[in-house]
Amino acid sequence: MLEIKNLTKSYGDVVALDRFSLDLKKGEVLGLLGPNGAGKTTLISILAGTLRDFTGTVTFEGRNLFSDRTLKNRIGIVPQDMAFYDDLNAMDNLLFWGGLYDVPRADLKRRAVEILDLVELAGRAKEPVKNFSGGMKRRLNTAIGLLHKPDLLLLDEPTVGIDVQAKVSILDIIRNVGAAGTAVIFTTHQLAEVETTCSRIAIMDHGRILAQGTFDELIRIVGERDIVEIAGDFAAGAFSEALRDMAGADVELLSVADNLASLAVSDSGRIPRVMDRLFQNKLAVTDLKIQTPGLETVFLKLTGRSLRD
Amino acid sequence: MRRIQRILHVAGNDLRLMVGDKVFFFWTLAFPILFIFLFGLLYKAGDNAPAVAEMTVVNLDQGRWGSYFIKKIEAPGIAVTVTDKEPAEYVRMIILPADFSAQIEARRGQALAFKKRSGASTSAAARVETRLYQAIARTISELVLYGPGDLTKFLDGHPAFRELVVVKGEFPPKTVTVVPSGFDHVIPGTTIQFIMMMVLIYGGIGVMEDRKKGILGRLLFSPLSTGELFQAKLLGRWGLGLLQALMLFTVGKIFFRLNLGSVPLALLVIAVFSLAMAALSVFIGSLCTKEDVIVGLSVLLANIFAALGGCWWPNEIVPQAVRVVARISPAYWAMDALHKLTFFQGKFADIALPVGVLAALAAVLTAVAGRSFRIRD
Repeated sequence: MLEIKNLTKSYGDVVALDRFSLDLKKGEVLGLLGPNGAGKTTLISILAGTLRDFTGTVTFEGRNLFSDRTLKNRIGIVPQDMAFYDDLNAMDNLLFWGGLYDVPRADLKRRAVEILDLVELAGRAKEPVKNFSGGMKRRLNTAIGLLHKPDLLLLDEPTVGIDVQAKVSILDIIRNVGAAGTAVIFTTHQLAEVETTCSRIAIMDHGRILAQGTFDELIRIVGERDIVEIAGDFAAGAFSEALRDMAGADVELLSVADNLASLAVSDSGRIPRVMDRLFQNKLAVTDLKIQTPGLETVFLKLTGRSLRD
Repeated sequence: MRRIQRILHVAGNDLRLMVGDKVFFFWTLAFPILFIFLFGLLYKAGDNAPAVAEMTVVNLDQGRWGSYFIKKIEAPGIAVTVTDKEPAEYVRMIILPADFSAQIEARRGQALAFKKRSGASTSAAARVETRLYQAIARTISELVLYGPGDLTKFLDGHPAFRELVVVKGEFPPKTVTVVPSGFDHVIPGTTIQFIMMMVLIYGGIGVMEDRKKGILGRLLFSPLSTGELFQAKLLGRWGLGLLQALMLFTVGKIFFRLNLGSVPLALLVIAVFSLAMAALSVFIGSLCTKEDVIVGLSVLLANIFAALGGCWWPNEIVPQAVRVVARISPAYWAMDALHKLTFFQGKFADIALPVGVLAALAAVLTAVAGRSFRIRD
């Protein structure tokens, strides 16, 4: 549905996007992770058509995204800013923003009512937005992007500065929109959000995608392994001997002492076999701890630990 | 078609937001009306000349020249009432003494008493006085030309000679014959001043806030182009200027019997002037990043332009050098055109220059505002 090829954008000497390429399919929810200055907002701004002077191509269903402004009717964008009118109420805001798109006038009001219901603001539809809490404003911000039923939805950090309930609500909306067939690109700093919401994750830095795939694929791509800690009634030598022929690329004995051993396992499917082997050798295991590498580990491994501006 | 609808949609929303401000009607209606009332009363001491100037002639003359002279006074726009004794009530009055004819026939000079009620229209008096001088000059000229005989009989017998002597009054070039005053001056002046102030303040702040909040950027997420967005912003502010004028002109018409001369031409002046101010407001909003700065700048510009431009006092009475400097003020051209329509029976040709200047200014300001229009800081 969306194909980005070699997108490059610079601000003076600073390269914000460096030959950035990405494909997105219908119904796919892509989480775009990256530290500050990675180029996420620049990418969204270019796709939104508010940033110019770049090179590369962006096609939407085979058509140049920027050659035909009517394509914007099929794209919904939720910016980082709470960009709406505080003096208007939620319904009037939706009717105004929706009126900019090719939504039939007769449908607009009905859709506004539906979307207010979806973001759980139906009861506050006639209240001036300036009285809303931060979470309510974020939900309205999201609703405006969804009102015209876009085929492609771009969300730039839609959960910044809101409470857990509001965050969960917005993430639910994103998941549902994706399940309904809308392609979604969702930028965030919150690693847990993409882990639970996105069908694909891309980690970018310095204007490039460093790695992308499903969560498991990313773990494999960066070569991170599960750390297995085994406690029990065994001698260090017997433990090493029991696993001697299993040691290799998949299972690495990191440390072993009497009653406590530590292993690195690249494929979590190997852990039951390790346990089998220990039981076969009559080694009593009293405790087992598996430390799975998280997205944070992957993220830091790819983007480094140095602080960003 | 959809493009125009989008522009109107954004412009209409801007207008609605501006009108929806809780103090909007205080600043655009109540406060200007207070201005109009106070300044209108102040300038009312000026004059609103009646269409027909009243003139009472007390004819005590024993001879035939008195009635001959009265015939010479009669003219359209002057209602002459002839009486044989001084009335208690009059607006203005001339007394022809008993020996009026005798003095003429004796070729002797004589003084005629001309009296005016206090508070009577000075411009109507000027009209009557001019007519009196013309009558005196004509009578004397005819006496010189045709001799002391019965001139009435002579002219009846020789009608071709009747208009042989014509006395014309003519002012030197650039003489101010009418000083714009009263509500007909104050209402357009206040309207022009408040169009400047309100369009610059509301319009400028709106553009600045929309940019800072990311609303301008979000508007461009839709099929709206940057050019269309600029047009919409311009249109909303232009609408505000027109609305301001319509409110004050309507109040002026209903409560102060406002006379604009030609209403369509007056609206044309307002429309072109408002467009220039709308463009200036978008420019100020694009340039400034703080509300205080926009308010300060707008109030300063509006007041300087209003004072220079003749909104507070008619430019017709200021020294020529000040009038030349005043041309830098857009208000000058608007007030010049409105005064021509209201006080000098101006037609389109008479206001073509000031309207042309305002249109050129609007075009330049629109181009400048378009170039400086920013979506983000």
